[in-house]
Amino acid sequence: MTYALPISFSLNGQATAIEVPTHTLLIDLIRDRLGLKGTKRSCDMEVCGACTVLLDGEPISSCTTLAVDVDRREVTTIEGVTPPDGLSRIQKAFVLHGGLQCGFCTPGFIMAVTALLKATPHPTDEEIRHYLHGNLCRCTGYTKIFVAVRSLAAGQVSEDAA
Amino acid sequence: MSSVRPDLIEKVTGRAEYITDLTVPGMLHGFVVRSPAVHARIVSIDTSAARSMDGVVDVLVGKDVASFGRWGVVLKDRPIIATDRVRYVGEPVAVVIAETIEIAENAAELVDIEYDELPRATTIQEAMAEDAPLIHERHENLQDFYFKGGAKPTQGSNIFHTYRSNVGDVDAAEAAAAYVHEDHFTFPAISHFAMEPHTVIADFKGDSLTVWAGAQTPTAVQKVLSRLFGLQLAKVRVIVPFVGGGFGGKASVKIEPLVAAASWKVQRAVRVAQSISDSMLTCRRLGADVTIRTAVDAKGRILAKSAKLLLDGGAYSDTGSAVATKSANRIIGPYAVPNLRLEASAIYTNTVPGAAFRSIGGPQAVWAKESHMDNVAAAIGMDPAEFRLKNLAARGERTRPDLRALDMDMSELMGRVTQSFASDSQASNRRPRGMAVAATDPANTPIANAIVRLKIDGSILVSVSSVEVGQGAHATMARIAAQTLKQPFSAVSTLRADTAVAPYDWGTGASRSTVVVGLSVENAALDAADQILDMVMDVWELPKESLSLVEGGVSTGSEVLTFHQIFHRTLGVDSGEVVGRGAITPRSKKGALAESPLFWETSAGLAEIVVDEDTGEIRVPRYASAADVGRVINRVAAEGQDEGAATMGFGHALYEQLEFEDGQPINATPIDYMIPRISDVPPVFDTILVENGDGPGPGGAKGMGEGAILPVAPAIANALFSAYGIRITDLPMTPEKVWRALQKRK
Repeated sequence: MTYALPISFSLNGQATAIEVPTHTLLIDLIRDRLGLKGTKRSCDMEVCGACTVLLDGEPISSCTTLAVDVDRREVTTIEGVTPPDGLSRIQKAFVLHGGLQCGFCTPGFIMAVTALLKATPHPTDEEIRHYLHGNLCRCTGYTKIFVAVRSLAAGQVSEDAA
Repeated sequence: MSSVRPDLIEKVTGRAEYITDLTVPGMLHGFVVRSPAVHARIVSIDTSAARSMDGVVDVLVGKDVASFGRWGVVLKDRPIIATDRVRYVGEPVAVVIAETIEIAENAAELVDIEYDELPRATTIQEAMAEDAPLIHERHENLQDFYFKGGAKPTQGSNIFHTYRSNVGDVDAAEAAAAYVHEDHFTFPAISHFAMEPHTVIADFKGDSLTVWAGAQTPTAVQKVLSRLFGLQLAKVRVIVPFVGGGFGGKASVKIEPLVAAASWKVQRAVRVAQSISDSMLTCRRLGADVTIRTAVDAKGRILAKSAKLLLDGGAYSDTGSAVATKSANRIIGPYAVPNLRLEASAIYTNTVPGAAFRSIGGPQAVWAKESHMDNVAAAIGMDPAEFRLKNLAARGERTRPDLRALDMDMSELMGRVTQSFASDSQASNRRPRGMAVAATDPANTPIANAIVRLKIDGSILVSVSSVEVGQGAHATMARIAAQTLKQPFSAVSTLRADTAVAPYDWGTGASRSTVVVGLSVENAALDAADQILDMVMDVWELPKESLSLVEGGVSTGSEVLTFHQIFHRTLGVDSGEVVGRGAITPRSKKGALAESPLFWETSAGLAEIVVDEDTGEIRVPRYASAADVGRVINRVAAEGQDEGAATMGFGHALYEQLEFEDGQPINATPIDYMIPRISDVPPVFDTILVENGDGPGPGGAKGMGEGAILPVAPAIANALFSAYGIRITDLPMTPEKVWRALQKRK
């Protein structure tokens, strides 16, 4: 038996009301029903971080979160942190420092770093490594991701850089 | 940010479209039912319960497509879907096709399959045993199908390929040697673990088939599907959007025939999106068992080297034969060895099929040969760096008569990584260090085509079959076209790979795109330039020598004619384009590209380690990697390639291993299989790219991106050996193995 519940939540600042089956995962709601494909599905087991979105500002894995659990809460995806005509300073830092290759893990990293810098604007090297421990990347070897985040921690990339 | 890779902008914003983001109107979803049996006869398949479920459209099973026969890229050994027998755990046995993925997945539980177990051969040793069950009864070679040549199988055995190379007289050299040393090493199966699992959408419509796939070699997919289903090549279209990581795991052909068959059965578009666990059961790096022997004279000169490599190819051959051949070539290294006896075999086992993986056969061979080098040096009482330097082949010298002369100087790379450590006052010279070097021969087939279209407004379209898998190939092609046509980088767009549009190319892999496809783009741009200059010459009646391309048009010496003016006056209307075509064949450049390898992919690595003697855990606080890349086209991207490759090396050096227990995969999930995390990467990591502008590619570039994976494991093992006198011979160097070795030493 499939039960559906009406939920209303804020998606990237927009009030969203929708009826979802109780077993629907947040990632499927976001990608398949609401058409925001920037959030990537990879491990499906909450170990890789590719599907990271922010729930009330905190990073979570959308692949293991039930859609009904975001009722009356705020969800932010990669689309929500991308300025309408340009890049956020975090996105710019990743591009400038080559912190991505295939890009499949990148939206998850951008969301995690967004949360990190909001909570800790100037993280130490150890804090960066600790915070991004849950995001896997198979291409870059992480060195350039680390450099990108460190440049942000040092305030080297501004909103209108480059 | 006008010069940055356009693909990076699309990716950081989440706008980049991957295969998993595509939908085709009316498409159905397939869920693959996989074999739980290691080796078994299929007694029966009952799909009736699954079919009766609401939303299920059909179920594909072996008997539906048995008449199409088998496929392969080197050996024709693979059914579209298991027909009468399964050969490994994870082999597709049925595809449930339904309106939604949930329905397909739920209905898959209802497919009832009865197996009758067969004797199994799950390791190299079991498969080589005299009474081993045959995993394939006969071997059918496909000559020159994907690679030049083919496999040399041994009929009536599980050996699907053997490659031998002999130079000089090893026996005589060993008899005359002052010292002969033999070692044995093993290398495990490794999962590619691309962040985007294999996903394919196939749409059969009558006699034509369109496939969207995250494939590295779209023309190979096209060819296999054309042969298998009896379709004209021109009726098989393969479209490749951004690929979320490949590393060889999406090269040749993987699940495309399976998904195409599902679409053929229902005559509708079908999508199969695998999970990472599914992809871990789809392909993996070949494990290896290596015996290596070196004979040296009293002065430490290597007189002879012999090696026997056995590669675990899994249940289907894919390109495992090439992996074996390359492993034999790659075990030579950058050394001058007058006598060689090399033999490599690829062997079927009842495990996940082996496949190409970043530097095919390279990590297996280099792990053995570079660990062995330090063992030999220790045995003769020589410093390992001195032993290497004494035996290096010089630039211009051949390491084997049939291979191109070395186009680099390995002593320079060794010096650069050593300097990297010396230049840091923080570096501890008390910590254990180990070095390893590699020189590999990429299989960079010199066959490529490109189309470059220059439009009236000065914008340029580049069309190639190279896929954008993160390496920056599309931006590199755009940069080559822009430089050749003297137009800004921002004027050039590279189209996504689509066999209906892009001309034939062998594929994306083996570090070949920058050089081989890059040269074809350069040729196509030169052809376009020639055509536009011809227009000016004809219409303005000017000598061609006086004309040159400048940004936005052509300079006549006295004035600049815009592309608008040129097309308008030539064609009479205010529109038009020139279409430049460029081709690379083995005959290009007077045959200079035909000799193998096209360039040497080289690497030196130096590791500093810290060992926790209580737990056996190895940490690598510092690593330096050097490669001779000829010329850097995009520094950040090139460094990133080497850093990524080296990090994969840390993975297989320290913890990665796809494990099988009596044929059962025991860690084929992303929870159980560990890949390196950000906290595992050496905090001090120096990436050195040596540029001498002497490569065969545009501007003197060589290919790169594979070399840095090679020295990591032996460099770490050599550091462990130098400091503790323990020699780990089987990867990965887990804490338990290291701890046990430390205990044994006490």
